[in-house]
Amino acid sequence: MELIFIPILASLIWAILPIKSRSIAAGLGSISLLILLTKYNSGSFPDGLTVVDQPWLGESVRFTLSIDQITWFMLLLTQVLFPLIVMSVKDKNWKLISWAFLMLAGLNGVFMAKDGLIFYLFWELAMIPIYFITLQFSERDNFVTTIRFFIYTFVGSLAMLASLIYLASLSGGSFAYADLLNTQLNHSQSIIIGGGLLLAFAVKIPIFPFHLWQADTYTNAPAQGSMLLSGIMLKMGLYGLIRWYMPLAGESIDFYQPIVMTLAVIGIIYGGIIAIRQDDLKRITAYSSLSHVGLIAAGFFTLNASGFNGGLLQMLVHGLNVVGMFLIIDIIQKNTNTRNLSELGGIAAKYKLFTVLFFIIVIGTAAAPLTSGFPGEFMLLNSVFKFNSMYGVLSGLTIILCAVYMLRIFQKSALGPNETQMTRISFIDYVPLIFIAFTVLFIGLFPQIILEIFPMSLEKLMLDISNAKGVLS
Amino acid sequence: MIGIAVIFLGGVITLFLGLNKSESQSVMVLRLFMLISAVLAGAESQGWMDFSSLFNWVPTKMLDFSPFDLAIVSILSFFGFYILSLLPSNDRKGADVLGLIAFALTGAMMMVGSQHLVMLFLGLEVLSIPLFVLAGSDKDNLYGNEASLKYFLMGAFSTAIFLLGAAYTYGGSGTLLLSEIQLKLSFAAHFGEYPVLVKAGALLMSVGLLFKVSAVPFHFWSPDVYEGSPNRIATFMAVIVKVAGFVAFANLINTFSPMQSWMNKWIIPISIITILAGNIAALAQQTVKRTLAYSSISHAGYLMLFLILPMQENQAILGTYLLSYGLGTILLFHLMDNYSSNGVKSFEMFRSIRTNKIDLATLIVGTLSIAGVPSTIGFVAKYQLFSAAFAQNHYAVYFALLGSAISIAYYFKPFRYAMAEQSEVEENPSKEKGVFSQICLIFGISLILIMGILPMIVERIF
Repeated sequence: MELIFIPILASLIWAILPIKSRSIAAGLGSISLLILLTKYNSGSFPDGLTVVDQPWLGESVRFTLSIDQITWFMLLLTQVLFPLIVMSVKDKNWKLISWAFLMLAGLNGVFMAKDGLIFYLFWELAMIPIYFITLQFSERDNFVTTIRFFIYTFVGSLAMLASLIYLASLSGGSFAYADLLNTQLNHSQSIIIGGGLLLAFAVKIPIFPFHLWQADTYTNAPAQGSMLLSGIMLKMGLYGLIRWYMPLAGESIDFYQPIVMTLAVIGIIYGGIIAIRQDDLKRITAYSSLSHVGLIAAGFFTLNASGFNGGLLQMLVHGLNVVGMFLIIDIIQKNTNTRNLSELGGIAAKYKLFTVLFFIIVIGTAAAPLTSGFPGEFMLLNSVFKFNSMYGVLSGLTIILCAVYMLRIFQKSALGPNETQMTRISFIDYVPLIFIAFTVLFIGLFPQIILEIFPMSLEKLMLDISNAKGVLS
Repeated sequence: MIGIAVIFLGGVITLFLGLNKSESQSVMVLRLFMLISAVLAGAESQGWMDFSSLFNWVPTKMLDFSPFDLAIVSILSFFGFYILSLLPSNDRKGADVLGLIAFALTGAMMMVGSQHLVMLFLGLEVLSIPLFVLAGSDKDNLYGNEASLKYFLMGAFSTAIFLLGAAYTYGGSGTLLLSEIQLKLSFAAHFGEYPVLVKAGALLMSVGLLFKVSAVPFHFWSPDVYEGSPNRIATFMAVIVKVAGFVAFANLINTFSPMQSWMNKWIIPISIITILAGNIAALAQQTVKRTLAYSSISHAGYLMLFLILPMQENQAILGTYLLSYGLGTILLFHLMDNYSSNGVKSFEMFRSIRTNKIDLATLIVGTLSIAGVPSTIGFVAKYQLFSAAFAQNHYAVYFALLGSAISIAYYFKPFRYAMAEQSEVEENPSKEKGVFSQICLIFGISLILIMGILPMIVERIF
């Protein structure tokens, strides 16, 4: 419960009092990390520890939050990234902190919710702040972009709401996760319900044809908005996929699996190719993100252990790396007033430490061996290859494409002849970068430490999914 | 009954006391009476007080208030109080406008408690006739005169249609009492055949009420009338008339519930058309007031979904929805009134709202609630309504959800000017606001949020 209350309280404080210090915000943000690490120790509850269970609305909806190993892992991802993001807030944008804390409450709730309607409630609660962040603090009037983003996601959410209401009406009115899980669906019901859930998650992830909101929103949003969106919010969609769509509407997996796999593979290649041709650093990162999460979604849809393990690992790694990329872009932009590759160059000559960190994050994103991107991506590709060797080969292109655009970024901005003038980078900007660079190397060397966080809950989840799918494997 | 008595008394007293004072002075008296009525009716609906012995002389066959009706009466009084508090009065001498508002409110309450078609008709007229006058109460405004005339003509027609329907129903059933009509129909249900006259009567009376609640295709008057009327009266029409109209409508449809499956054949299409047409038309509007008018049309569409549900078990859903709709609408009308003072009517009026934190919070919370976004009461209301209607008809709910998605595009228009840091702030001096109206705003915001986060409170009210 603290994980919800403390952020809401912090959000209220920042809404009322003008506290402009981002260090205080980051400090307050890491309190929830401390709570997570101390109070909810990970290994002790593979089946889920119920944090709160109260009647909420009538007999059908209960306010249920519970933490199992996968949830704990997602919470860890959120709590680790949040202080890093808040620490980079520009002084003039201090009002953003209030929205960010509100969003943190929503995100924590999404990962913990064990009741369909409560899940929906937090899902929307996480979405409203990011809408206001992108609208309020962007560099130009981007009402059209943000409203497009909001309508896309809201349509998805409403489809999910319709599916949940439908599912609950079949389960005798109850929205509890266990009841929804035990509801048997026939073929046409599972197609409708699964389609609604899948649409919501596909928009949020985003999977290929539903990605149209993504690049513009990332480009126009303030750096922190892009970080929150790509670092944490995309994971809501991926998490929803494995926690809510697959176990609840598993009967429809056979129907949707080929469609989603095809779209995801298209997205992987499409995102990679478009990223190569972009000039704006934020757009490159946006399309690279599309390509990476496409691979994670494809890995989940292969339904084998390697795909799930790799996907979960890659969620954390992608979150860290993409936040690192946006931090670097933010620093470059803050100091040079541009983020166009054509106008940058020669950063390495003057800023040694910055360039080293930049390079580590670049190769981490490009999934070079011994960096954090490699183990997850390898497991995902392995699982896709097992599913269908053609898809495996095609999605394997992502490593090549990613190396092309990532090294292009580094080459054009850090190396090269063009002497970019940069003012001094303050120490506080280095702290998150150093941390992320450290995790790139650490997870790259010891991925097993992360994989050991969630084995038992993952096993249970996969059992639920295969039960729901109707085929015991 | 206590509500009618208090408000009527309040109206008369205000008329006499305000004879020689400016309206903004005498409005205090009426507000007080409305608050008393809200508290007393609320207490009676919860069973804390009992005034029924005071009104033994009223024939309960004609006018009878169930606890749910009393809760609605309390809400109506509260909304009256809230409208008079948040939308300012003019400085003319005399309290005639206030008196008419009070009498219209009594009419609304009569509609809520009516058990008899004549009483329902009487309530409809007592509600409407003051409003014809009030719509044109700003005599110098040409649009106000147009609004008044248009409302009068439409109101007269709809009343005539309603009366014709009542006459047919009497011809078919031999009674005007709602309970007896229902009884006769449930006998008829055993034979599977309903008198044609009753069917025609039900249809015509519904058309009469559909005019009042401005459902498509009977909605054409409402944007023009809202635009022409003074803001306070437009709010009154959007909130009070719709709340009372829908409770009366639900009672009427409940009377004919034995032939529910026949009625669903036209209720559901009208509901879907209202939702879609209201939301799509709202997209194209340029002024805030017309957008709000079309938004209230679309809400009439959502509310019509309630009419396909069995009334008795689901009353709380109707109450919650009306409460959330009224609160959100009053808050948004208040902001529209406050920021349109220097003649800007488009959404650009919200440019200067950023300097006022309470107004900004009101805008955000009010909009989110009326759009049905979670953690506000608007979501609780919409969720309850849709999930109950889903059990009756899947497709209607899909269309309603589609309508909600469309509505985001216009509900969020103000944020373009209200939030974006990069748009320059123009000095648009909004009207001076007293502490009292700020307290009212904070109260409204917290009501929306608290009931949205802890919806069990709302369940307890009804």
